[in-house]
Amino acid sequence: MMKIISGNEAVALAVKLARVGVVGIYPITPQTTIIEELAEMRARGEISTDVVRVESEHSAMGVTLGAAVSGVRAFTATSSQGLLYMHEMVWWAAGSRAPIVMVVATRAVGAPWNIWNENTDFMSERDSGWIMAFASSPQEALDLTLQAFRISEDPRVFVPMMVGMDGFILSHTKTNVYIPSQEDVDAFIPPRRQPYVIDPETQESMGNIFQPVHYMKLRQSINDAIADSKDVIREVGREYEKINPLADYKTLNVEYKLEDADYAVVTMGAWSLDAMEAVDRLRERGISVGLYRVRYVRPWAEDEILRALGDKKGVIVFDRATSLGRGGPLYLEVKASLNNPVKGVVAGLGGVSMNKRDFMEAISTSIEEMKRGSFREVTWYYPSEVKEVELGTPRSAI
Amino acid sequence: MSLGLRGLRSESLLPGTSACPGCPENMAMRMVGMALGKNVAMVVVAGCSSVIQGIGPKNAYGYPVLNIAFAAGPAAASGMWRAFKQRNKDVTVVVWAGDGGTADIGFASLSGAAERNEDFIYLCVDNEAYMNSGGQRSGSTPHGAVTTTTPEGKKENKKELLFIMLDHNVPYVATASVGYPHDLMDKLKRAKEVNGFRYIQILTPDPYGWLFDPSKTAEVGKLAVQTCYWPLIEVMNGKVRVSNESLHCLKKETRRPLKDFLSVQGRYKKLPERDYLELEKFVDDLWERIISMS
Ligand code: SF4
Repeated sequence: MMKIISGNEAVALAVKLARVGVVGIYPITPQTTIIEELAEMRARGEISTDVVRVESEHSAMGVTLGAAVSGVRAFTATSSQGLLYMHEMVWWAAGSRAPIVMVVATRAVGAPWNIWNENTDFMSERDSGWIMAFASSPQEALDLTLQAFRISEDPRVFVPMMVGMDGFILSHTKTNVYIPSQEDVDAFIPPRRQPYVIDPETQESMGNIFQPVHYMKLRQSINDAIADSKDVIREVGREYEKINPLADYKTLNVEYKLEDADYAVVTMGAWSLDAMEAVDRLRERGISVGLYRVRYVRPWAEDEILRALGDKKGVIVFDRATSLGRGGPLYLEVKASLNNPVKGVVAGLGGVSMNKRDFMEAISTSIEEMKRGSFREVTWYYPSEVKEVELGTPRSAI
Repeated sequence: MSLGLRGLRSESLLPGTSACPGCPENMAMRMVGMALGKNVAMVVVAGCSSVIQGIGPKNAYGYPVLNIAFAAGPAAASGMWRAFKQRNKDVTVVVWAGDGGTADIGFASLSGAAERNEDFIYLCVDNEAYMNSGGQRSGSTPHGAVTTTTPEGKKENKKELLFIMLDHNVPYVATASVGYPHDLMDKLKRAKEVNGFRYIQILTPDPYGWLFDPSKTAEVGKLAVQTCYWPLIEVMNGKVRVSNESLHCLKKETRRPLKDFLSVQGRYKKLPERDYLELEKFVDDLWERIISMS
């Protein structure tokens, strides 16, 4: 069935279709309408999901983890400060190897307050031990959320999974979304499986002190499960195509007009579509460029990336996030995978909008620089209309 | 005097824990096992009990335990009982937390779970400081007590968790002491029969933080009650019941002098008179409030 819905509505529908048992929720913009939608579904009697309205994001993940380790499918969603407040429990969930699904509607992190989009919140969790996918449309938000239950509950994985989507741009924008039927989803997602359940019958315990070498072994087992999950993700993606005939999830990441291109642009999330339009226009002008869209941050699909980008004369990576004092996290990851020239562009932070023309300008200037052979490794790009903005420098104490 | 408990085995505690000798938490855990039986799932937040159970993957508690970050116990238990309900399993979910986890870092999630009337038993084992990290003051450390972070004696009073939890209007709130095991076990048994949020704060005098001989744990737990420093009460459906062991505290004349409790502890060795009076006032106020409730 096709329906015009927002990204947040699409996620709530995925939670319903996956027959989630417990949801721990706390409101934060721009994720809030996911939980409002779930609460309303519950009030209308459409779902039997236990919706727990907790007092903080820390507790949202606490409830979700408690339910997950006690044997039911569990979900939560958050954004920005909320994700940071939950950070400790994000790690605890990973270390418990509890299959859990979380959606992050991305947003800048204060100070100062800023409710607009940026991916730094999401990217700052990449050491935590979760599988991490990032959507570029409400459709993908729904698809990836459904797949996340399959992937995280696969016996070869047993690691939680988060799905990111650009706050407001996807969370609040309505587009046509294909919604698979309940029967199809039931066939796609089998009843919950997990390696251990807290239960007086089985007497399993979790999380008590480990000897150093056992601790390190456990960390490695999570590392290996994530690194090896690529095949599971591709397999689940192929199977997903049976329940959504319009979908294409054979690969972790997505290529666009790359094969014959000399230069490549790397993006993640919603603005990839603007960047694709920019690529089309630049090609019309005779600039040989293609686009590579990262859909999975963890596992990192090094094999796919090398194959797609390893022979390019230059690779330009756009980050909507920063590791302050260094470059964008995506740029650092791509650079670590390639031996050819890679340039990073930090753009669009805190809701600064990037349109097709901005991408055209940023891409063509970067290609010019790279052709000359001397290029700034990381630049911060401001769209033409905001270029003159200046921030007062803090006064010196002396 | 024998309490009639010796020789009684409790399957909540298997031999070979890593507790210090004379550990009050071990005593309380044994009583939990005797009172609640086997059908329990436990959430243990950071504290001595995260260590006492020994090195994973084995565990010296006879319960399935989810060990969890300091502030997350009540939240995890909320998810847990709801999961058991969905799986049609009748399991008593118990949160086991120290005073730091309860009065300080975990208070928001405790209060949240109480407000939602989540269906589990919350046990605060109150040894009045962060004993697992070496005895630093917590919100539950009493006035005048010397800890490693209040070498001059704590300047503030103990946080009144009992009244704070009563103000949440939950179905069951009680206090107990490891000095009086029967009282504690009765309360645990009663709590088990109640639905909704249940809170029991157990005084667990710690020989290493309070500085007394490890053979005296039960005795100090008794002195706390006899001197009326620690009340044994229970509030169910709004009705206050004072345990027999505490009835004498209802009148000031029949209370045993507070000095008898303080003088056996090293942490009160150099207590100035003014602080002693402050502590006495704390006890008077405590009982005035309890009397006004009954
Ligand atoms: S420090 Fe106190 S509570 Fe902790 S294990 Fe030792 S005796 Fe028990």
